[in-house]
Amino acid sequence: MNAIKLWYHKLGSPPYFYVFAGYIQPWLWTIAAVLAVAGLYGGLVLAPADYQQGDAFRIIFVHVPAAWMSLFIYGVMAVSAFIAVIWRPKMAEVLAMESAPIGAAFTLIALVTGSLWGRPTWGTYWTWDARLTSELVLLFIYLGVIGLYHAFEDPRQGARAASFLAMVGAVNLPIVHYSVVWWNTLHQGTTVRYFGPSSIAPSMLWPLLAMTIAAKFYYGASLMQRSRVSLLSLERGKDWVADIVRGEPTHG
Amino acid sequence: MAAAFRAMLQRDLLLAWRRRGDALLPVLYAVMVATLFPFALGPEHTLLARISGGVVLVTVLLSMLLSLDAVFRGDLEDGALEYLVLAPQPLALLVAARMLAYWLVTALPLIAVAPLLAYMLGLEGPAQPVLLLALLLATPLLALIGSVLTALTVGTRRSGMLLALMLLPLAVPIVIFAAGAVGAAQQGLPWVAPVAWLAAALALAVVLAPLACATALRIALDS
Amino acid sequence: MARFLAMGGYAVFVWPAYAVFILVLAADVIATVLRRRRVLRELRSRIARQGRRRGSVSP
Repeated sequence: MNAIKLWYHKLGSPPYFYVFAGYIQPWLWTIAAVLAVAGLYGGLVLAPADYQQGDAFRIIFVHVPAAWMSLFIYGVMAVSAFIAVIWRPKMAEVLAMESAPIGAAFTLIALVTGSLWGRPTWGTYWTWDARLTSELVLLFIYLGVIGLYHAFEDPRQGARAASFLAMVGAVNLPIVHYSVVWWNTLHQGTTVRYFGPSSIAPSMLWPLLAMTIAAKFYYGASLMQRSRVSLLSLERGKDWVADIVRGEPTHG
Repeated sequence: MAAAFRAMLQRDLLLAWRRRGDALLPVLYAVMVATLFPFALGPEHTLLARISGGVVLVTVLLSMLLSLDAVFRGDLEDGALEYLVLAPQPLALLVAARMLAYWLVTALPLIAVAPLLAYMLGLEGPAQPVLLLALLLATPLLALIGSVLTALTVGTRRSGMLLALMLLPLAVPIVIFAAGAVGAAQQGLPWVAPVAWLAAALALAVVLAPLACATALRIALDS
Repeated sequence: MARFLAMGGYAVFVWPAYAVFILVLAADVIATVLRRRRVLRELRSRIARQGRRRGSVSP
């Protein structure tokens, strides 16, 4: 127990985190890449075409992992934002703020792939379906957090303000989702039946899982990479940063 | 504590009264936006009547957004905000007075003019009082939530567009329920449920928003 | 191969979806690499400046 606690506190110190992140980063990239290659091969080549949607269903292997990640990353961001607002450790601020752009990227992917999937299945690129609408609102929340962070001159103050906004957004997100669902049932004319495979075949399931886990590892790797850069910039006056900069090859 | 609340409210209302022309600006803006819709969509009565509730609600929302930036701006510029934060009275209480003043000055004139705009767009009969009720619940909610967001942007230089971006996700449920109630009333359907949700949200926001706003101000002023 | 690329007639939807997935994530990584270079360049010039200042004071 004590060892875990010690490790946790060590991770909270920027120089230690920098080294630790640099150490695990290649592993995260490798696992993400291997899983993604396997998932893409399984999804694009091995899985048979869906009997209703034909090959259009193959978008599921990028759309669903991206949509899950958009929510998963928001959850991680909201938890670190909560810690950042209450206890103010620098690492929590960094992790929350560096999660936001990755989450926004996945949300954008989910929206674009969703509308590309919607065209052959629903007959339209955009419909005010509850899920698509919530995803759009989620993108706006991410953009608000990123925008607020960059609006401050002092990055630490910006991180704290944006963390607070992320917490507000976490409360708001389920409210938005349920109100949009209610709004959709109110306007029956616009709802479109969503026909996905009701019971998913194993040949489709494993590539989907592989892609989902690959996306998780990608997020971890990208977060480590981003946090390292952010730490160098935030701790610019410190000795450990100077040591690292002197040690780096000049083409950097 | 009640005295501090009253003093704060009186001061804000007096300041607003001295610059009463400013309070008319959002109203003028709302009238302009609402008049532009028939020109854009054509004078067909059934279409305008169907969208009237939604148009009025969105117009009111945008007009409030227009003046939201100013909630703490003046105090920040003359340094009064630092005194508010350092005052012995709880900051949440003083902030609540400010929110009430903002609602009275900005939203009340809009609510007064909203039925007229709605009528001009063709909203008639039992939907009119529902619109009024929805506005009476939705505008304080927007004022409370908007003040929290404004407090967060107080330490930044440019905030107009950012504020709109931050408010949009929070305004979505409010607009859905308020416009949903008006739409239901227009079709003769029960409209109590969405109004009740708005009222519940308002009750929560009245308690939580001043506290959140005080926290946000402390973060933005870094104290 | 041609049949694989045609995606049962859905090529215009499937391939752009995968392209967006890969391009957006690649942009995320490349933006971070570029930011890292910029930050390191700034830090290097900062350290060089400090070194010069220290050098001019001590003799």
